[in-house]
Amino acid sequence: MSGTEASRSEVEALLALVRERYGSRLTAEELEAVRKGIEGVVEAAHALRAVRLDNADEPGQPFAPFRADG
Amino acid sequence: MAEDVVFVPVRRLGELIRERRLSPVAVAETFLDRLERLGPRYNAVVTVTRARALEQARRAEGEIAAGRYRGPLHGIPYGAKDLLATSGGIPTTWGAAPFKDRVFDFDATVVRKLEDAGAVLCAKLAMVELAGGMGYRQPNASFTGPGINPWNRDAWSGGSSSGSGSAVSAGLVPFAIGSETWGSILSPAGNCGIAGLRPTYGRVSRHGAMALCWTLDKLGPLALGADDCGLILEAIAGRDPADPTSADRPFRYDADGSRARRFRFGVLRGVTDGCEDAVRENFERSLETLGGIGTLEEVTLPDLPYDDITRTILFAEAASAFEDLIESGRIAELTAPEDHYMPYVRDTVLAKDYLKALRLRGVMAREADRVLARLDALVAPGRLTVAAMLGTEVRSAIRGTARDVMGAVGNGAGLPAVAVPNGFGARGLPTSLQFMGRAWEENTILAAARAYQSVTDWHERHPADP
Repeated sequence: MSGTEASRSEVEALLALVRERYGSRLTAEELEAVRKGIEGVVEAAHALRAVRLDNADEPGQPFAPFRADG
Repeated sequence: MAEDVVFVPVRRLGELIRERRLSPVAVAETFLDRLERLGPRYNAVVTVTRARALEQARRAEGEIAAGRYRGPLHGIPYGAKDLLATSGGIPTTWGAAPFKDRVFDFDATVVRKLEDAGAVLCAKLAMVELAGGMGYRQPNASFTGPGINPWNRDAWSGGSSSGSGSAVSAGLVPFAIGSETWGSILSPAGNCGIAGLRPTYGRVSRHGAMALCWTLDKLGPLALGADDCGLILEAIAGRDPADPTSADRPFRYDADGSRARRFRFGVLRGVTDGCEDAVRENFERSLETLGGIGTLEEVTLPDLPYDDITRTILFAEAASAFEDLIESGRIAELTAPEDHYMPYVRDTVLAKDYLKALRLRGVMAREADRVLARLDALVAPGRLTVAAMLGTEVRSAIRGTARDVMGAVGNGAGLPAVAVPNGFGARGLPTSLQFMGRAWEENTILAAARAYQSVTDWHERHPADP
């Protein structure tokens, strides 16, 4: 499967998710706008996935354990 | 006194109040009158807080008369973006119709800190609904109507702190508090020809502020000049146990930091790509000016998907922050038609991609710091264009219809930036210049912005009342 086909099928899969969850609220025109938006999400995801990271590269926002005062 | 306190910087107003040459009550009355009379002309105001303002102003007057002067904000009126919780029956609407009658029983930490500093809350200011987190495309995206630009009433004041920008620009308040997730302080400041400071992430407590994106949201001042922004930041900065992301790094504003110093400025290669001609020309003129107060060098960042990193974080966190509103379908009550369905797009960001963006954020932060470590500031146009006209589509890096590497890196890495006016472009609308610095270097970028403002007079120009 080419990259473009993979993107297209990913967009369709994610659109199906939106249709499943919220389809009854959306007109055909709105669904088309959502599809375009999802294309942007998938494009961004592909750009992120294309960057290789090391195992040690952690999220920039560290988790901190919580303990109430006292 | 009447209107001769309008467009007077906070620092000067404070001196006049301290010397008891101005009455805080009379000053408050002047700005309350302007908010009530002119605020609707700009769709700048949600609620004028007259009763609370006069109570605070009377208290300030009494304290100062008794020799208990609190500092440079004592007796100074201000407006707060309407995503900051306020007690006393004052609504906090988030700019959104579903919340237009909602009232909190506590004050946001920023509001409380300003009260402690003696400032006088005169208004809750209009904003794009939910701080633009739902994907709006055009200025008419608030139940109070589109924010109107004081320089051209057919143009937008900017988003999402639209009322904070227009109210300061039009002289309805001496300063305002706004918030920025990606662009929402720098954009209205630039559109309205005033100064706006986006502090380092964690510098200012977010407690009591609407959450759009927990790891991107910042609160900061909009004012007539960079100097005022420093005074205000000192009052609102600091650790707050109620916001675990607030940093234990005390901030003391250094108002003398620009004297007799040369700055090191960097300019990202290609930073004016996609700019309107007037924005580029004004930026080039600004570089000539900056050459008189420092050195300039072109710099590069490694090739990373900066916009995609910050956008992915923003989409995922916004979808989660407003899960109830989105899943219940109440987004259909929002003003902008596109806000009724575009939030569903954000439900489709996969967890692994969000985490990849968070991991890349760490790389981005290190790379940005490596470049900034040998500079005082990166400089760039505050925005690619002048303000959009009402009724037209707004170009936005958040939606991917414009590129904004400075905004993506600055917000994604949580770096401070200050925007100041640097000229005018099409349709008589202001353009702006931004200074972005290393984390926690607000004093450095404010010093640079002050130095620029000391040799230019764009900040001394003000729109006429309609």
